[in-house]
Amino acid sequence: MSPEIDVGLVNVTKKFGNLVAVDNVSLEVPKGSFFSILGPSGSGKTTLLRMIAGFEVPTSGDIFIGGQRVNDVPPNKRPCNMVFQRLALFPMMNVLDNVTFGLRRRGGMSKAEMERRAKDALARVGLQGLEKRKINQISGGQQQRVALARSLVLEPTVLLLDEPLGSLDLKLRQSMKLELKHLQARTGTTFVYITHDQTIALAMSDTVAVINHGKIEQIAPPEELYRRPATHFVASFVGENNKLVNGKVVAFQDEEKVEVDIAGIRMLGRAGEALSVNDTVDLFIRPEMITVRPGKGENGILGKVSEINFDGSHSLVIVSLLESKQPLSLNVKIQHTENAPDLKIGDLVTLSWRWDAANAFLSMAQPHIEAEA
Amino acid sequence: MNASTKRRSLWLLLTPMLLWIGLLFVLPHLKLFYLSFISRRGGEFTFANYLYFFQSPLYRKIFLRTAVFSILVTALTLLISFPLAFIITKVAGKRLKMMLLLAVILPYWVSELIQAFTWMVLFRESGVLSYLLQMLGITHHNIEFLYHDTTIAVGLVYTSLLFMTIPIMNSLDTLDDSLVEAAYDLGGNFWSTLREIIIPHAAPGIMVGSIMVFMLNLGNYVTVTLLGGKNSLWLTEIIYNQFIIRFNQNKGSAFSVILLTFSVIFVWIMLKITKQDLSEAM
Repeated sequence: MSPEIDVGLVNVTKKFGNLVAVDNVSLEVPKGSFFSILGPSGSGKTTLLRMIAGFEVPTSGDIFIGGQRVNDVPPNKRPCNMVFQRLALFPMMNVLDNVTFGLRRRGGMSKAEMERRAKDALARVGLQGLEKRKINQISGGQQQRVALARSLVLEPTVLLLDEPLGSLDLKLRQSMKLELKHLQARTGTTFVYITHDQTIALAMSDTVAVINHGKIEQIAPPEELYRRPATHFVASFVGENNKLVNGKVVAFQDEEKVEVDIAGIRMLGRAGEALSVNDTVDLFIRPEMITVRPGKGENGILGKVSEINFDGSHSLVIVSLLESKQPLSLNVKIQHTENAPDLKIGDLVTLSWRWDAANAFLSMAQPHIEAEA
Repeated sequence: MNASTKRRSLWLLLTPMLLWIGLLFVLPHLKLFYLSFISRRGGEFTFANYLYFFQSPLYRKIFLRTAVFSILVTALTLLISFPLAFIITKVAGKRLKMMLLLAVILPYWVSELIQAFTWMVLFRESGVLSYLLQMLGITHHNIEFLYHDTTIAVGLVYTSLLFMTIPIMNSLDTLDDSLVEAAYDLGGNFWSTLREIIIPHAAPGIMVGSIMVFMLNLGNYVTVTLLGGKNSLWLTEIIYNQFIIRFNQNKGSAFSVILLTFSVIFVWIMLKITKQDLSEAM
């Protein structure tokens, strides 16, 4: 494994009885990068993180940290530290003792040196003067910082974060999100962050791995993930989308550019996976990528404004398509810029988009109800 | 409902409890306290009952023995109960948990008296243990296991187990597993995690359990006299002797007050040492 890779998973599988929580996952986290693992709850992302931390042992496959195979290394000997979902700060200790806990376990350092390093780490996360406070005497955001400092003070090769922002309120989450990103850039520590919140994953990460049912769906930088999803799941899970179901592939204009018939309307799109003519596909179109022109125009799809939802910086306009065989509507996001069209309910509009703003994937079979206990 | 009716109904609800404590606890103790300062013959005020106790080397020895023995048994019970409570709350699966809990609770379905008799059947000279050892060829004659300090300790630990295990289980139940994981993640090992995370968290439960077990041991009569025989030299035994055999209520009262005072002081010191608040511990 190359030295530039801090965490490497090779064909890692984890089974709990009959349940396959993580299914043959391989991934590489480059040194110094912010790597997110994004997936819905129950997708196996927590199990994945716990295997890296050492709390779960993979059923098969190998885990490498900093080039070393760590399958048989217990969690207290691994060069990685974890920020827990519920933070797991020690309520029986004050802030300073929480942060020095790891240093005390490591030993070989004077008490003054430990305190100096702990204060240093606390300063790095912007927390000073609270050293003597008990954990229940500081706010949620401050606790977050203590948890970060407690791990960072040990200068781990990799910092694992188990969705620690989940419990914060929206405003605090937004500001912590940016801070975390800055902190990562400043310290250069490799971050592995797991979350079900795509806005966090997209905003903070260098690379995002999308996981579903224990399998990796796509590993890509956020922008690629957003613009060029690799699977049906990624297209529907990441970002907002218009999902037009059960279209038929009519023709290929080139390798990627595909013509799809949806309820009698021809639409252009990008083939997200290998498709052939007559395949049944779903088409995903980003609401903000659709251009709206008032009136009946050329080269577009005719529709009528049926709803306008004002949302501050933009409006969500729902346009029902006039030429479709079945009732069909598209959500369109309009930024309130100078030349934004002035729309009213009932207006005739023409919709269009660049071909690669729409992604086509084979329709999934209806999700069958699994025999779950 | 206005404030005065509310208050009246509160008092009404409290009445049985207050009567219970007042008539069966406070009043008898006041009487005990009073009697302990009265001379048996003349009925006048005196310290003689207390002086008698502290001037007798035998009684002083018994007092010390009871105290130290109770503390040791409490420590021993803690040593057995803590891992047990930990296994029940944190490690065991559903089935094992039920079985262990039953094993702890089941003995209390019979009275302490019956428990002590059972121990006697096991430990007496012609008892089960002695018979087993002979059958296995380890010894060739009857061995008397009763009437030793070890036997008393075994009996006391056995009767105390539940009262230590349940409070510790209660406090361990609220220990977030991720705290233990975090401690390991930060480089902690078994001992440091136990010392810095688990025990501090369980401290209130340990304290409650220890106080209860200590009091139960200090005031135990049945197990001690049945397993320890006439020479168990336990404080409760000499109190019993004063009241029942010698009909000396005054000396008996004085000894009781000494026992009571000692246990209160001891608990207070323990709470101070471990920096616990009684209200918090309870």
